[in-house]
Amino acid sequence: MDFNGFVRTENLSKVYSSGRIQVVALDRVNLSVAKGCFLGVTGTSGSGKSTLMNLLGGLDTPSTGEIHVQGKRISEFTSDELALYRRYQVGMIFQAFNIIPSYTALQNVALPLLFSDVTKLQRLRRAEEMLAKVGLHSRKDHRPGELSGGEQQRVAIARALIHRPNIILADEPTGNLDSQTSREIVEILSDLNRNQDLTVIMISHEEHLLAEFADEMIRLQDGHVVEQSRGD
Amino acid sequence: MRIADYIEQSFFNLWKKKLRTFLTTFGVVIGIGALVSMISFGKGMQKNVKDQFEKAALFNYVTIISNSEGEHLAHSPRHRRVEPESNRPGRVLDDDFIHEITQLEGVELAFPERRFPANLKLGEKEQFALVQVLPTDVCRSKLMQLVVGKPYMSDNENAVIISDSLLRRLNIKDPKSAIGRKIEVATLILDLKNFLKPGGIISILAGKSLPFSEESYTFTIAGVCERAGFHGPMPLRSDVFIPPGTADQMKKLSSTSIWDFFQSKGETKGYSMLNVRVSSLKYIDSVKAYAEDQGLRTFALVDQLEEMKTAFLVMDMFLLAVGMIAIVVASLGIINTMVMSILERYKEIGIMKAVGATNRDVKKIFFFESGVIGFAGGVFGLILGWIVSILINRVVNHILSKQGAPHVDCFAFPWWLCLGAILFSIVVSLIAGIYPTLRAARVDPIVALRHD
Ligand SMILES: Nc1ncnc2c1ncn2[C@@H]1O[C@H](COP(=O)(O)OP(=O)(O)OP(=O)(O)O)[C@@H](O)[C@H]1O
Ligand SMILES: [Mg+2]
Repeated sequence: MDFNGFVRTENLSKVYSSGRIQVVALDRVNLSVAKGCFLGVTGTSGSGKSTLMNLLGGLDTPSTGEIHVQGKRISEFTSDELALYRRYQVGMIFQAFNIIPSYTALQNVALPLLFSDVTKLQRLRRAEEMLAKVGLHSRKDHRPGELSGGEQQRVAIARALIHRPNIILADEPTGNLDSQTSREIVEILSDLNRNQDLTVIMISHEEHLLAEFADEMIRLQDGHVVEQSRGD
Repeated sequence: MRIADYIEQSFFNLWKKKLRTFLTTFGVVIGIGALVSMISFGKGMQKNVKDQFEKAALFNYVTIISNSEGEHLAHSPRHRRVEPESNRPGRVLDDDFIHEITQLEGVELAFPERRFPANLKLGEKEQFALVQVLPTDVCRSKLMQLVVGKPYMSDNENAVIISDSLLRRLNIKDPKSAIGRKIEVATLILDLKNFLKPGGIISILAGKSLPFSEESYTFTIAGVCERAGFHGPMPLRSDVFIPPGTADQMKKLSSTSIWDFFQSKGETKGYSMLNVRVSSLKYIDSVKAYAEDQGLRTFALVDQLEEMKTAFLVMDMFLLAVGMIAIVVASLGIINTMVMSILERYKEIGIMKAVGATNRDVKKIFFFESGVIGFAGGVFGLILGWIVSILINRVVNHILSKQGAPHVDCFAFPWWLCLGAILFSIVVSLIAGIYPTLRAARVDPIVALRHD
């Protein structure tokens, strides 16, 4: 394992305590992902995959251990620094799409730019570019309710890419999609990984699909990394 | 995030819930409207009173009151202060005294109050009124607020000035039409012949006749003045004014009340009141001191100013309190709406945080929404308050004009009130937005994203 990885964790643990009960979601996970790598993450339900993803994405902070991304120790970041990290360094994609229903596809894609000092014209122009990249330019004025699941997920991908991040974190992006659409989505991610040197970390239950595209695979169980393998 | 983006975002989000936004804003509109009309009413009344006094230069007057004059004239506590002294027989207010006063530094003129009762006849209508003898100088000064026409120019002119209120009572709607018309002034005189006739006293005591008869004079109406809207020992206290020379030629009762007439027993007691005009406020005190040293009582409107200010302050406070209640209710509406909005947009907040919004960004988004509600509420509240004030003013003046009173503006809208109302509305809305906003900033994105 490469300890000078692009994304690296050291003894990363997350313990949730609700009342007297403590749940160890992640237990001393050591991980190193090289730049431009496509990492597939599998594991049974409740094994800690989403917990790991939220920590890497800066949405949550570890109980103990460290996270290094591009040489920065993000586990030490303040909440404002984490917000900027989420804005510029990573793009996150979720199973539930998590796009805003009242916004059009274009507005959803442009949303992250709203928080940085970009003019409206620039925002919309860049968002259109991104939508074109995921093949949805013709649907830019449609709202999520008018789009299929796969199309919504593509909107989410376009949004994740708008700040040109180096890392894409995808938490079961295909979980709500049929196998045909799932494949299309993974192909988009794989394409980005190959052609734009994006580091992709993707969670999926569909091991075959994942194995087909991923450079490396890990399996989580009860908060531990129990298996590591190279993809095809 | 840019200011324009925040504003656009606010409108976008508020527009999504049109009805709720409208109702919440309407609450603010009513609150601000109530507050604005209340303050405006307070300021309007204040302005009215001060303007009238200042326009007429009334602050430059001191009234000196003879000691034998009725208590009712001196009603302010300030006068009570000098009362123990006033037990000694004060100086008689005669022409000598007037001469002395006129010699004091800063005194421009001094004239006694002289009034007599008369019956006025204009066309078909008759009205009983007190006629005041007013020197030509005073008639031509700022004190006399003419609506139309001009003051009389000499002490012997056969002319009168009449108030608009009396004109209305004489059924004349247009003051202009009264200028140049003849008015008949019938004075009461003591009819001694009738009094001394055998059986005369008996018929008087039996109430069958009075020992008075009328003497009629005809004058031309030279000007129409505004009826002074206040009472007390003021220089102008009548509805009809005539020049002194003309008055001296008339047969009339010299006193205003029949009781005075009987009590005086023919003694010359001088005048009951003397009006003194000074060139500047700084001479008021010395004139007062001079008169009080001679056992006389004085009244100066300027002394009432402080008391008036206190009274107005109390009134303002009361009106403000009423307005504030409306504002507090409106604020609760804003808090309610914002909290609702945050609960509804829980997931949206989580998404915004996930894609890189800082807590500050989230706070600002909601602050701007409250601010927009406040701004809209302020602007429309101001308009509402203004409309309400116009309506109330109409109603009040309709009632007043029926009673023959002059037109008044009950409301004032100084620029600071307009600007202040909008700013205040925004500030109140922002304060109401603090709690909801903090709640929005505290949203945990992980929890929110899992939320349906
Ligand atoms: N906020 C929380 N409070 C308490 N326990 C939590 C919390 N979030 C997660 N957990 C627990 O941590 C463990 C790991 O959860 P996580 O969501 O990471 O699993 P997962 O691998 O993503 O599962 P799935 O495949 O079903 O999405 C689970 O046992 C879960 O119950
Ligand atoms: Mg999960």
